[in-house]
Amino acid sequence: MAEMKRRWGMAIDLDKCTGCGTCQIACSQSNNMPIFQDDSDIAKRVTFLDVMQVTNDNDENAEYPDVKVAYLPKMCQQCEGNDPENPSPPCVSVCPVVATDVGDDGVVSQIWSRCIGCRYCQASCPYEARVFNWWKPEYEGTFKESMNPDRSVASRGTVVKCTFCDHIWKKERDKAIANGVTDINAVTYTPACVSACPTGAMVFGDLNDPDSEVTRLSKSDRALRLLHPIDKLRETDPELYKKRIAMKNYPNPKVYYLTSQKWLKEMIGGYKHSS
Amino acid sequence: MSKAIDFLINEWKSYSRNIQITIYVLLGFTALFAIFGIQILFWGLGYTNMNNIFNMGLWILGDLGYVALGGGAFFTGFMLYIFRVDKLQPLINSTVLIGFMCYLFTFVLLVFEIGQPLRAWFGYTYPNWGSGLLPTSMLTEVIWCLTFYFMVLIIELFPIILSHKVLDRIPALHYIAHYLHKLMWIMAAVGTFLSFFHQGSLGGGMWDIMYAKAAWFRPNHLYFFVAIVAATAGGTCLMMVIPKIAQWVQKKELIPKDSFMKLAQISGAMFIFYFLIRVFDIYTQWTTALPLFDRSFTDIMSGSMYGWWVLVLEFAFTISAVVILNMKKFRENDRIFTAGIISGVMAIIMMKFRVIMHGYSVPNFPWKPYMTYGPSIQEWALMLGSLAIMVLIYMWFAKYIPMFIQDEEHSDVQHSQ
Repeated sequence: MAEMKRRWGMAIDLDKCTGCGTCQIACSQSNNMPIFQDDSDIAKRVTFLDVMQVTNDNDENAEYPDVKVAYLPKMCQQCEGNDPENPSPPCVSVCPVVATDVGDDGVVSQIWSRCIGCRYCQASCPYEARVFNWWKPEYEGTFKESMNPDRSVASRGTVVKCTFCDHIWKKERDKAIANGVTDINAVTYTPACVSACPTGAMVFGDLNDPDSEVTRLSKSDRALRLLHPIDKLRETDPELYKKRIAMKNYPNPKVYYLTSQKWLKEMIGGYKHSS
Repeated sequence: MSKAIDFLINEWKSYSRNIQITIYVLLGFTALFAIFGIQILFWGLGYTNMNNIFNMGLWILGDLGYVALGGGAFFTGFMLYIFRVDKLQPLINSTVLIGFMCYLFTFVLLVFEIGQPLRAWFGYTYPNWGSGLLPTSMLTEVIWCLTFYFMVLIIELFPIILSHKVLDRIPALHYIAHYLHKLMWIMAAVGTFLSFFHQGSLGGGMWDIMYAKAAWFRPNHLYFFVAIVAATAGGTCLMMVIPKIAQWVQKKELIPKDSFMKLAQISGAMFIFYFLIRVFDIYTQWTTALPLFDRSFTDIMSGSMYGWWVLVLEFAFTISAVVILNMKKFRENDRIFTAGIISGVMAIIMMKFRVIMHGYSVPNFPWKPYMTYGPSIQEWALMLGSLAIMVLIYMWFAKYIPMFIQDEEHSDVQHSQ
């Protein structure tokens, strides 16, 4: 097979997102997320994709009618560290048992059955994208019948995460091979959340392909990465930018968020913008 | 059989009323440890108050505390066997026992801590070593180094157990104990080598390498070294606090004052070093590490429930230990000395409390609040139960094994015969 040239990434237009939660439901269904009696215990909930409510109402200056709310679908941001050629997401190097790794397509994987549940990767993730199975996964009644046979169910006591629906990619790859296509780069796919989005706010594709929609969106003026203020420095103060990336790794996620709203850019861009 | 029962009943009756009550209470905590331990192992960590954000809690705090304070064992052994500070000899048996128990219960708590205890051995079979000699994951380093050092502690403890009067009567065991004593400097050297690594990795490196987390990351990885120095300073204090309590309980001098003073001097010197390196660590976190995240020290401290007061308390205890252990007039006053060594232990506990509680409380997202955490009854039961079992083991050793100076002299006489 040819060498993998893909570098999967995602762009999410927050101005198009209505916060309907369809992406989260599609994700949970496709990835066999358990459903517990009390899922109002959000801090222990098991979900790969979380539609977060972002608001400026904890800002002292935000009073009626200036209070604003937006919805942000947040999944694993598939970080790659400072060097995309030698990716080093914050969660991978910390795992004591090599249960997590970065694939040649840039997707951060997790082997459920290798994980010992130490949660060190979870502690090191700045996006709270990794979740732990605090309870034994349960599927009541008819939920069992709708489970996805392509996705294995993790045991209690393991860390799980979004893998950009790699089970769908594997299925598409197998289909291509069955049709006699052996070039791995000819295989494309769409994760469950992107397929389900009713407003077309989510776009998935290959960031290495200069003609792809996701690459075009990632280069838009409206695009920014979650909690990644160092990006701004690259333009405003290249010297300081170089100094900082020489001092430490930055997550460099492969998920881009697009918005024209200034307050939202400031809120999700980071704690305080570098100037 | 009836003789054994009679022996146990007579032994029990020989204890004072206070000791009997203490043992009842400790056994109560041990029972809770067993009950809730079974619940956690069989039904999972859902019963704890940890969650996807505050994903480690009281038990990791216990692990960090046990390893740092148990680190007094390696440092006291190093000073005695390598630097030949012979005045520390009367403290060494108690020190080895405390170190052994601290590491034993670090493993025990880790087994409860991980979600898949039956896969604990994966740490040995699938270690994240990377391509070089040094491990990639700090936790891999912790697992391996802790295991090796625990083996060293078992070997160090072995001659102490063999000095029991019944075992000591068996010539073969007597000579094994004798020659193990002679080889102890090798164990001390190996233990020191191993301890430098795992003290740094579990106490410091594990946290300061998380490059995406503002509250923990240090670009200079100074926190790794802070943790090593903390263990040498605070650990030696614990090695004085416990025999001091034993003396208070038994109402007699078990360790000569000279030995305490010598270890206090060593601990005091290490506390000066610790204070300086810790101040420098906080300074560089303030001026270098946090600006890399576009965050400020006041930002991560002000909103947290575990912010400024924890830092102030940590430094109050540290400064108390520095002053008391380094000034002769304070050191020689028994009450002030006791306050000094307790301050030393508390300084290290507060340092660990800060790294865990404050580190997890700082939100990742600007629109989220600072987190708080209170352990569940299961977490308390396992933590306090582990302490209770350690106290029971120490009491048993203090009663039946010649751990202290008078017995040591007796043993030396026997060995030289």
